[in-house]
Amino acid sequence: MTQIVEGDRRLAIEEAAARVIADPANSRVAAGLLAEEIADEAAAHGVRSFSGSIAATHAAGLIQDGLAEFVAAHAAELDALVSDAADERFEYFGLRTVYDRYLLRHPVTRTVLERPQHFFLRVACGLSETVAEAAELYRLMATLSYLPSSPTLFNAGARRPQLSSCFLLDSPRDELEAIYDRYAQVARLSKYAGGIGISWTRVRSRGSLIRGTNGHSNGIVPWLRTLDASVAAVNQGGRRKGAACVYLETWHADIEEFLELRDNTGEDTRRTHNLNLANWVPDEFMRRVEAGEDWSLFDPKDVPDLPDLHGEAFTRAYRAYEAEGRHTRRIPARTLYGRMMRTLAQTGNGWMTFKDTANRTSNQTARPENVIHLSNLCTEILEVTSDAETAVCNLGSVNLAAHLDGRDGLDWERLRATVRTAVRFLDRTIDLGFYPTPEAGAANRRWRPIGLGVMGLADVFFALRLPFDSPRALELSTRIAEEIALAAYDTSADLAAERGRHPSYDDTRAAAGVLHPDHYAAAASPRWDALREKIAATGLRNSLMIAIAPTATIASIAGCYECIEPQVSNVFKRETLSGEFLQVNRYLVADLRERGLWTQATRDGLKRADGSVQHLPGIPDDLKLLYRTAWELPQKALIDLAAARQPYVDQGQSLNLFMAAPTIGKLSSMYAYAWKQGLKTTYYLRSRPATRIAQTTVQPAAAVEQVACSLENPDVCEACQ
Amino acid sequence: MLLDPGMDLTLRPMRYPDFYERYRAAIRNTWTVEEVDLHSDVADLARMTAQERHLINRLVAFFATGDSIVANNLVLNLYQHVNAPEARLYLSRQLFEEAVHVQFYLTLLDTYLPDPDERVKAFAAIEHIPSIRDKAEFCFRWIDSIGDLRSLENAGDRRRFLLNLICFAACIEGLFFYGAFAYVYWFRSRGLLSGLATGTNWVFRDESMHMEFAFSVVDTVRAEEPELFDEELGEQVGRMLEEAVAAELAFARDLCGDGMPGMSAEQMRAYLEYVADQRLVRLGMPRRYGTENPFAFMELQDVQELANFFERRVSAYQVAVEGNVSFDENF
Repeated sequence: MTQIVEGDRRLAIEEAAARVIADPANSRVAAGLLAEEIADEAAAHGVRSFSGSIAATHAAGLIQDGLAEFVAAHAAELDALVSDAADERFEYFGLRTVYDRYLLRHPVTRTVLERPQHFFLRVACGLSETVAEAAELYRLMATLSYLPSSPTLFNAGARRPQLSSCFLLDSPRDELEAIYDRYAQVARLSKYAGGIGISWTRVRSRGSLIRGTNGHSNGIVPWLRTLDASVAAVNQGGRRKGAACVYLETWHADIEEFLELRDNTGEDTRRTHNLNLANWVPDEFMRRVEAGEDWSLFDPKDVPDLPDLHGEAFTRAYRAYEAEGRHTRRIPARTLYGRMMRTLAQTGNGWMTFKDTANRTSNQTARPENVIHLSNLCTEILEVTSDAETAVCNLGSVNLAAHLDGRDGLDWERLRATVRTAVRFLDRTIDLGFYPTPEAGAANRRWRPIGLGVMGLADVFFALRLPFDSPRALELSTRIAEEIALAAYDTSADLAAERGRHPSYDDTRAAAGVLHPDHYAAAASPRWDALREKIAATGLRNSLMIAIAPTATIASIAGCYECIEPQVSNVFKRETLSGEFLQVNRYLVADLRERGLWTQATRDGLKRADGSVQHLPGIPDDLKLLYRTAWELPQKALIDLAAARQPYVDQGQSLNLFMAAPTIGKLSSMYAYAWKQGLKTTYYLRSRPATRIAQTTVQPAAAVEQVACSLENPDVCEACQ
Repeated sequence: MLLDPGMDLTLRPMRYPDFYERYRAAIRNTWTVEEVDLHSDVADLARMTAQERHLINRLVAFFATGDSIVANNLVLNLYQHVNAPEARLYLSRQLFEEAVHVQFYLTLLDTYLPDPDERVKAFAAIEHIPSIRDKAEFCFRWIDSIGDLRSLENAGDRRRFLLNLICFAACIEGLFFYGAFAYVYWFRSRGLLSGLATGTNWVFRDESMHMEFAFSVVDTVRAEEPELFDEELGEQVGRMLEEAVAAELAFARDLCGDGMPGMSAEQMRAYLEYVADQRLVRLGMPRRYGTENPFAFMELQDVQELANFFERRVSAYQVAVEGNVSFDENF
């Protein structure tokens, strides 16, 4: 009997979840049922309270003794903090994500040993020294105001608390042993749920002489094939697949083969299907593209110091080596740039990240020997690396949607308070974390970088009715970034006064009185002057503080739009390891409901138009403007928002760009603009499939009638060009 | 006219640019079997119930031969009679896609069935398993139905050809395959067999285009020779679809047995009737069943995907891009 009831509830959950388009309230219905299901599952293990869940997970060997002792000593106080009513804030997809991936499970039965609120409080306790601290962080998480990154959510309080999201490894030295040593480091870092960025710029190119054997090198591709296989083999605790991004500087002689690594045609022995690819582009290259000049490609063996130079010094050395004839080949810079654009269009990969901008503005690069050699898996982390130091970053993001003041703006005071707490806990993770390699531990303790980001910017714009490309949106977005940076720097200065500066503080630009906004003329203000004075006295606890990460999973948990991104569609499907989930823009639905327009015909029309409201009959113009999708917004606006925010983002931004039907001409204009606007990095180029499935659950348009407008098939539709 | 006998070779002026655009769009969506990662499926298979295992084995056995049958009809019948070079370009491309599908299902079968004897049995299913044999016989009967036609000389010939074309689009690609895809998405909705689902997404996309191409051939013929579409033809299409629904339903009974939570032969009947109605509407014919779609999870397949790249390969990229480097285009 109970089995039938449980089966029925599961079906009811799936039914409700699949019907969110008809009524977004079904998402909460499904979430409510799932919360009951989870509570029953935990109760089957005797778990009825937070302290009970800690006892059960400790008995199962999943958490540290220290955490269990802390909770046992404060059981009554901590149990009283738990608010199960907070579960009502979850959308179905968020709760389902928590249930499938984050709740601790019994090693044998695989059923859960804790409820969602127990999980939040466990993470909070895992990062806290006192009940008061735990209460503060728990409150932010329970209200979905701030969430630490996934590795912290997975591992806080665990036996091996690997809390960091990203690792950045310098290129292996150009020798066999160094390369194999890097594979081992990558595997160890990947095992504990870290995303990997790794440069390959120092490794000699194809045709280079190998003195020891008097043979010739096959270049970087075979090595990257091995890296590809190694990364794919590491399954991060069964929770997600390992992932890595390889960076290559634009002058490396194997650059063209590198750009083909993700093609799905050609010789498979020269392809890497799992690696992500990024271009680490010097300014000199972009200048030559603009001027229509030639570009020289070098074997790193012939120019061993180029990877460690940037800015003027790089340009000087590059030109000198060219003049000496050290290059292996010369090609028109535009030809290579065109190939880079083609790779972006065909694979979404081959991200454009800008070496000189990143180094020029970084707090860590005051001394010439400290160089940023690459960004990370998601292009938001920019930290110095060397053979002996693997850069690490601990991340967390503020949910801006949870900081609306209920009237017409943001609750700035609460936003600042959230940032202060977030920075303290991010700083804490540096000391509590387990580092899979000594190179990572050494770097993180010396530089103590953190990466505080945001999510839900699109929610804020919808709630305040600001089109993404409006001047007020730009102004608000920039103010948000500045407020967050001010509060973060201020907190780090306080932490420095309490606990000391980070050990390499004297090697930073801040030690010389230069803060990140000082690199941008537009960003000067008295508020920063005051802060600069304070920092002159206290120093900083952290060398870097702000990074806009993609927040794919934690935005799902929080039920908001990802980081700084516009919506991709008013109706879309999320595919994750735990299944497929339908999402609908609830702001749009509320607006259409209010105007009596949320009908079956509108819903079918919306699906048929792939989530666009632009050509639906009867939709008023103000709603059409507000509810444009990423495909319908000018990408210039996205770049302008990012550029205006950049002074207050001392690391990078995972900025996706969207183009339904990319051409080389449009892409080359767009990325040249991004570089000129001073962006440090960009991320995926998102495009759309050239063909699509026939929809099964929408009434078909009748015979012979032509589809009037289809973004999917732009060649037959002039209206969309 | 499109069905006039002959071997037209003239691309300029182009009579049917829409067919040529379909050909180009298909090329932009090239995918390869090597991109599909099946490794997590093997772990899923290990924890399935005997009933689910049975369903999957039968499904794989159907997939093993399904696309080869479609390719045969294309070569034996369609290519010969659709007399426009741009349409034949599309058909050539479709033939390649059918080959990729065959390769995908072969790889799937080799992965899912490690025992060589099981693999042989899967290919033999078309002879030994009644529910699969009946579907295959339905297909063969329609392939053979115009085997004697060397050219479409008169209205009778052309109607026979149209029935073959509509059968493969509406009944085989548009119903048998759609039924099979529904099982895959049912597993997927429960977080299972994501590798199969990835490949299926791509196969599904291709099959949808094949079906749409066939329907636009029908539309073109209807515009050129409206008199071919008489009541008799409509009746024949209706009967053909009924027969296809019955064959697919027998397959569903074999696969589902007494049913599982969220998937049963009765639900599949409703789904097939719903899909059959959609094919009729697309052909400008009245609905026959008036049944609602019972599978909420199929609603998921109709909307844009937003893959979390950490977890799944994004399937949305295009293969051919054009243009030259420039700095003043709008973006």
